[in-house]
Amino acid sequence: MAAVPVEPPRNPFAGDEWTLPAAQPSVTPGSGAGLVIANCAQCHSLDYITTQPPLTRAQWTAGVEKMRVRFGATTPTNLVPTLVDYLTSAYGKP
Amino acid sequence: MSADPSSRAGTGVRPFRLSLRRFLGSAGAAALGMPWREFAADAASVTLPFANGGRPLVRYPQKRPLLRLTARPPQLETPFEVFNESLLTPNDAFFVRYHLTQAPPAPEALQPDRFRLSVSGTVRTPLTLSVEDLKSRFPAVDTVAVLQCSGNSRGFFEPRVGGGQLGHGAMGCARWRGVRLADVLEAAGVAPGAAQVLFNGLDSPLHAATPDFIKSMELDLATRPEVLLAWEMNGEPLPWLNGYPLRLVVPGYYGTYWIKQVSEITLVDAAFQGFWMNPGYRIPDDPCAAVAPGTTPKRTIPITRMNVRSFITSLTPGAVVRAGAPVVIRGIAFDGGHGIQDVVVSEDGGRHWRAAELGASLGDYAFREWTLSWTPSRTGPATLMARATNRLGQSQPLEPLWNPAGYMRNCVEPVTVTVT
Repeated sequence: MAAVPVEPPRNPFAGDEWTLPAAQPSVTPGSGAGLVIANCAQCHSLDYITTQPPLTRAQWTAGVEKMRVRFGATTPTNLVPTLVDYLTSAYGKP
Repeated sequence: MSADPSSRAGTGVRPFRLSLRRFLGSAGAAALGMPWREFAADAASVTLPFANGGRPLVRYPQKRPLLRLTARPPQLETPFEVFNESLLTPNDAFFVRYHLTQAPPAPEALQPDRFRLSVSGTVRTPLTLSVEDLKSRFPAVDTVAVLQCSGNSRGFFEPRVGGGQLGHGAMGCARWRGVRLADVLEAAGVAPGAAQVLFNGLDSPLHAATPDFIKSMELDLATRPEVLLAWEMNGEPLPWLNGYPLRLVVPGYYGTYWIKQVSEITLVDAAFQGFWMNPGYRIPDDPCAAVAPGTTPKRTIPITRMNVRSFITSLTPGAVVRAGAPVVIRGIAFDGGHGIQDVVVSEDGGRHWRAAELGASLGDYAFREWTLSWTPSRTGPATLMARATNRLGQSQPLEPLWNPAGYMRNCVEPVTVTVT
């Protein structure tokens, strides 16, 4: 196969600032908000929650369970109702 | 709308002959007040036209301000007006989508003396290659191809579904330069029994229990000549957030397969069952990838090739045009690589359709420009529609289809403007 000319290595990281902008700080205040921040924001920024459309209790429950069962979130089972109560109240629909 | 002097648009970006601003006039463009048009210089946020659609415009390294969906890991969407500026999407405007907490990988791991690609598993000769090795050992090829997120336009699903709430900006078209994956696999020597190829990148989860982002494809697909290991995008090294120094390019397939910072290629003899192949990134096993809204599919399959889409890019909802004054309706169309056959346009909500003129082809995997001159006659609202058909005869539904993950939206996207 045909050889191609080797280009000189270019390093795009030279001389630039490579920090990522900060995440948006928080979620809507309310009972359970602190627990949501402590559990969810370990792995992802809170805009994963705040950009969702209004979701039903069943949808928020499925979301929390997906994080626990599929993604290995260490959130204990007994905290799930508090998380779901908060998410449904702050970001839910009836 | 004006060119950013720091833009890394690079070589090969062909500007459209007319910009929106030129044919509306700058005052007209500023006065449009369109619900999903924004001018980055003047706005700190954009509101996408669905519930909870507010997005801050945030500047990331090597990027102009983009719509930020999420910060960690970063998910950034291209402002829609970019698609009217050039057929090749500038690198600094190209969308970003990572899945895992520790992404993008730290720059230190990506330096030329550190970064390596391994090829192992069911091969005769396992390989460890630097990007320079790829450049020197294999012939380089260029291809122009659309990269589109599986969930592009998910925010428009009704009923709404969970997941990244994207507008239409998780797509882009670029000229990719790299080597054929088939050549690299040939150098490693595919051993008998190899059935699938797995791809992993340097992004990683925080918890060990979180599934790493690994994708698989059949050997038949991986060895197709259009599949590349690419280091260059629009004549420049890949941006950090788009996979520097090396990413997989799978023309025609959704972005989920285009692994960024790809560092491990593993050939295996059985079908891979990792989370991101099953249950992640699945669609209903149905020719339309759809089920009745709100229902669960009986059987699912992995998402694969893109369906046909088209967009009007020169006019956005709420635009004002003058009766009696000709305007050029312009847009883009693309599909999963069969090539666009024709685009028809309606100015009256779908009652009558006229054939648009197709622009020069940049290849069957690329955005195809189309244009149509229109002289509005009646004042009042006018609903414009574009509908593309590919060479297989596949087209776009007039009404949206639905699936629970919010993938593969491709219906006709009406744009209602006001004629004064």
